[in-house]
Amino acid sequence: MSPDLENEDLERRLHGALEAVDPGERFVPGVLARIAAEPAHAQRPPRAAAVVSWLAFGLAASVVVAVLLAHEWQLRRIEEGREARRQLVEALRVTDEKLNLAYRAVNTQQQAAPAEHSGA
Amino acid sequence: MLTQALAGERAAFGALVRAHQRSVYSLALRMLSDRHAAEDLAQEVFLQLYHNLASVSSEAHLGFWLRKVTMHRAIDRLRRTPRYASAAPEEAAAAASDTEHADPMLERRLRSLVSELAPAARAVVLLRYQEDLDPVEIARTLKMPVNTVKSHLKRSLAQLRERMNETADALT
Repeated sequence: MSPDLENEDLERRLHGALEAVDPGERFVPGVLARIAAEPAHAQRPPRAAAVVSWLAFGLAASVVVAVLLAHEWQLRRIEEGREARRQLVEALRVTDEKLNLAYRAVNTQQQAAPAEHSGA
Repeated sequence: MLTQALAGERAAFGALVRAHQRSVYSLALRMLSDRHAAEDLAQEVFLQLYHNLASVSSEAHLGFWLRKVTMHRAIDRLRRTPRYASAAPEEAAAAASDTEHADPMLERRLRSLVSELAPAARAVVLLRYQEDLDPVEIARTLKMPVNTVKSHLKRSLAQLRERMNETADALT
């Protein structure tokens, strides 16, 4: 063993000492057995699991969009109802004004007619 | 292989594990200094990979992902189970590769000294000399500033050299 290891020598020796070791033949079957021992839902192949996740996400997104559309439709219906009510009130107000005018006109004519008769 | 494993082929996933098992298992073993704990941790890493395979974009990314998860899980386990942090380093020291080297006793001593380093420093040394990563790649893997990686390397090398020289002096 060298009495004073230089950095370069130490690094070379570290490369040699720290070469990767093999865990043995039983390692891969061990990993696959652990996958097989997992609950069925966790065992789906990665892509299938991803597809299921995306389907679930898509379904949830569809429900949210449907709720938002229904809410929007409801708001539009309320707004249409308010507009119809406003138009009805306006129509009633115009009719009321016209009736008042007609009433006043008839009243004025009636008051004028007795005066003409008494003057004659 | 990655595409086939992604499609759910167990055999392809098995081949993927076989291709990376040495790296993952050795990192776990040299971090934990315990064969059973290392095997368990390495299997957990591959189990996690199985469930996250869709997020792995390439072979290079796969290597990075495996090293990152292994090191973070090992450091986490060392924090939760201090037994491993202070474990006798015999198992890590004995874990030699199949390759014959000039001085097996010296290499065994080096492995033992590496396993006595603090966890963060040990992780840096393993990624540098077992996995051949440069400081920037180590920093990305361990989510650590590059300067911290460099100072860990410098201090660890100084410490290892000092301890190796002490051993040499004791033998002469």
